Amino acid sequence: MIIQIIWTSIATSSYYVLFAVAFALVLKVTKIWNFAQPGFMTTAFYMMYWAINKLALPIPLALAVALIITILASWAVDKYAFGALRRMKSGGFTYFIFTLIFSEFIAYLFTLLFGTEPFTVFPNIISPVMPVTGIVVSHWDLQAIIITGVLLAGLYALLRWSKPGKFLIAVSNNDRLAELYGISSRQAYTLSMILAAILCTFGMYVLGTKIAVYPHLGLSLILFAVAATVMGGIGNVFSAAMAAMFLNLLQGFSILIIPSRWQNLLLFFFFFMIIIFMPSGFLSFISAMKGRRE
Amino acid sequence: MMMKKATLVICALVLSFFSITQINAQTKEPYRFGLAMPMTGGQALFGADQVQAALWAIEDINAKGGINGRPLEAVVLDTQADPKLGISMATRLATVEKVPVFVTAWSSVVAAVAPVANRHKVLCLSVGANSPKIAELGEYVYTAYPLANVDIAGIAKYAYNKMNKRRAAVLYINNDTGLYAARLYQEVFKKIGGEIVTVQSYEPTATDYTAPLLQIKQSNPDIIHLQGLVSDSPQVIAQMRQFGIQQTVTSYQGIYNQKLLDQLGEAAGDIIICAMAPDDMFHAPVKAYLERWKTRKGRTPYGLPYTQYVGDSAYIVKALYEWVEAKKLPFTGENMRTALLAVRTFETPLVGKIIVNEDHTVNSATYLIRVVKGKFTYMDTIPAE
Repeated sequence: MIIQIIWTSIATSSYYVLFAVAFALVLKVTKIWNFAQPGFMTTAFYMMYWAINKLALPIPLALAVALIITILASWAVDKYAFGALRRMKSGGFTYFIFTLIFSEFIAYLFTLLFGTEPFTVFPNIISPVMPVTGIVVSHWDLQAIIITGVLLAGLYALLRWSKPGKFLIAVSNNDRLAELYGISSRQAYTLSMILAAILCTFGMYVLGTKIAVYPHLGLSLILFAVAATVMGGIGNVFSAAMAAMFLNLLQGFSILIIPSRWQNLLLFFFFFMIIIFMPSGFLSFISAMKGRRE
Repeated sequence: MMMKKATLVICALVLSFFSITQINAQTKEPYRFGLAMPMTGGQALFGADQVQAALWAIEDINAKGGINGRPLEAVVLDTQADPKLGISMATRLATVEKVPVFVTAWSSVVAAVAPVANRHKVLCLSVGANSPKIAELGEYVYTAYPLANVDIAGIAKYAYNKMNKRRAAVLYINNDTGLYAARLYQEVFKKIGGEIVTVQSYEPTATDYTAPLLQIKQSNPDIIHLQGLVSDSPQVIAQMRQFGIQQTVTSYQGIYNQKLLDQLGEAAGDIIICAMAPDDMFHAPVKAYLERWKTRKGRTPYGLPYTQYVGDSAYIVKALYEWVEAKKLPFTGENMRTALLAVRTFETPLVGKIIVNEDHTVNSATYLIRVVKGKFTYMDTIPAE
């Protein structure tokens, strides 16, 4: 049972990981708590749903349609909304309010367009399963893990070895200094938003092939991404990924010990403790402790 | 001169007559009631269709002259099945719209709005929520829909007596919809001699059910009772079947909708659902009702039995207004409540007879629908007790 829970929790943490990484990346580079992300998630899902179920497009093409539209939406928000707020030197609270209202607007827009009925990407949600040394492994599990792994690996490679990736890191560390070296911080901001849109699109594909999605779901999922970002340490994109996986495992195992009604309390208790005692994140805290011992 | 005077008098009288008639026509306001349902959000799948059913019922009532010549009108407000929003909407219905009666649903919403209804003395008709707690929510809260003590108790006894199941597992969503009905199932099943081998729950925000399902698998029950919502139950059953848990699943009519079969197909396995209203398989008016849905919406309604009850609630409200009007009493919540308890038995087109008891419960038969090879089929009827 333990191994089954570990396996299934890792698989189901895939979409949480993608959403957390998207959120953490934008926060790292732009310093914006991007609560517009649920809006992009909702856009991605419904464009995918529409392309597959209404236009009868093959999956790769439908994904491409959803990607293009979500990227465009993300780019537009960065250029016209965040850009304007940056020019006005707006405070963090203004960004927060704008992004929340944007996500609510998108949710209501898609409610108008698609109704409130929850949809899955495909009409049937049954995924073939195979027993692997006593563990039930579904095709969905494998797909979710592979998609997440490839995207994270791609992101790592981009940040580590590519010029745009290094520029992203430079801007996230010090945007003014980066500008002095001829690195465009505006381009870096836009790139981070585009990367987040890509992660959200695939995250919604993975999610929407498992559970039914409705327009306001994104807003309830973002809290998990925020918790993982804070736990992983603000500025640590891949730590946010690990935190998301850890939180999902914690939730999965907690039911074995405590009633399910305590699950969210446990999650937020953890979150609360991290903010109070480890504000730079759990992993940074561990590194700092190791450093002190040495 | 005299003729001129007489003409003037006659003209004045005629003008006065038409003025009075005009005033009377202008004062023929509609009889109003509130309809607080989830029109957006995860539960709108059912809520929107229930509201549609009520609006069509109102259309039919008004086409036949309304209530003694006055039309019936619904004030529709969106609760999103959220208790907090429900309170706002109920308060608005009571204080702004000033309706003497309103219809609402979803157990957690009904529980939240009950104090509003009681405080403002507005009759709250719960139609669709099945938590047994609804019978204890106060003077002005009545159900026009059988509570879990009817269908849940009925299916628990049926599983034991007719299906010879002795070991039951219970899985429920951790909110008012799941909690009380799950407790009731356990109490009834144990009382008649059955064993509850495990009780598991999941949060409304859960997307993975591995741990509770594995606990259920380990406990090896004969039958599993699921008390979830329309948005999560298909996923729960899907994961259940993927883990090789093939036991019969019983549930309430919350999962009685075509989406369940679309999402699961033949992998749904053996599922038995308690429906609280007669189906088109054996009640002719329901057939015509379904035809209307197919003609106007191109599909059948989600949660057919719920739409039948909510649609018929318009006829209950009509009967209440007729009673109060006949007694020449003011249209207050208090008088609506008196009317409800005076009339008690309502003959409605889609459900048939609805009998409201003084203890805030309703008696009704329970219809069992079984999923066989990926299709809903009529199985049996548990008569009203």
